[in-house]
Amino acid sequence: MISVEEERLLKPYFAKSETSEITMRQAEEVSVETGICLRKVEWFAIRKGFVPRRYRHNLGTFSCAGQLKLLESKVVLAGLGGLGGHLLEQLGRAGVGEIVGVDADVFDETNLNRQLLSNEGNLGKEKAYQAKERLEKINKAVKFTGFSCCLDELPDEVWQNAVLVFDCLDNIADRLKLAHKCSEMKCPLVHGAIAGWYGEVGVVWPESEMLEKHYQGQREGLEKELGTPPFTAAVAASLMAAKGVQILTGKYRSTQPTIHFFDLLEDDWENIQL
Amino acid sequence: MVVNVKLMSMFARYLKNHPDGKVDMEEDSTVRGLAEILGLPVKLVRIITVNGKQEDLNKVLSNGDLVYIFPPAIGGG
Repeated sequence: MISVEEERLLKPYFAKSETSEITMRQAEEVSVETGICLRKVEWFAIRKGFVPRRYRHNLGTFSCAGQLKLLESKVVLAGLGGLGGHLLEQLGRAGVGEIVGVDADVFDETNLNRQLLSNEGNLGKEKAYQAKERLEKINKAVKFTGFSCCLDELPDEVWQNAVLVFDCLDNIADRLKLAHKCSEMKCPLVHGAIAGWYGEVGVVWPESEMLEKHYQGQREGLEKELGTPPFTAAVAASLMAAKGVQILTGKYRSTQPTIHFFDLLEDDWENIQL
Repeated sequence: MVVNVKLMSMFARYLKNHPDGKVDMEEDSTVRGLAEILGLPVKLVRIITVNGKQEDLNKVLSNGDLVYIFPPAIGGG
């Protein structure tokens, strides 16, 4: 994560022996004085027992070792709409170190009911660039790169060193394309989809062909008929974030392809192993 | 025999004549037969489980089985 030279520069700032916290301001000062990015400063601070105060309420859940793993991780978010916007918010606040977001669309008025990144002032603007603005206000330590393009147009370096991909797309053709890419990269994929009160979240392991089996030649879903309300998007995205953090921190145990279904109207939750 | 049926999401409407989720069927009926009784469009069916295990439309049902039928969801945006 950091070079020997960077370690030499950072060491004097974290010399105290007792465990302590470091504020956002202090971390930023160290970053400015050493010229080392905030993400690395936070990572080194945790290694030395100085917990960034912004992560205080993460640590009981993730532990220091888990928080370090999150800071080290690079993930790709495909889609920055209803699911992707909530995911970006949660992964950014959790402290996932590097996030690449891709979405070819601009915001429009019909997005306002559910898409966290949309607001009355940014209609007509690219989702990928609005995502960057939002994240910079929340956690500057996270390196975010936004691409306002289709999946096919992404440069190869986007996928390099990515350890997890999130499928927040809105059509089957792109979902299957993304699943194929992840299989090629041997990278796990967290899938999510919603329709009305109903949603599904799945962890797709490379070469399981879970989504191919799941959709079986189908091309349209139910969301046009049932709508995409705000709470279903938020629940599905939160479940995706939880599964993602489990995978990144080594807490996700099952290697079986699994889909979690929920129906918020019937209060029904089912986990299906495929 | 009687099977217990849970239909997720939009499929729930096909249980309106069976509000307790119990469906009377002839012995050795299949999931496909169940879908026909309910008027459920089989082309939309994506995942079926019987007593927690994934099955297909040809699964032969037994008295007391718990059958879940899931439609697909695609929206992300």
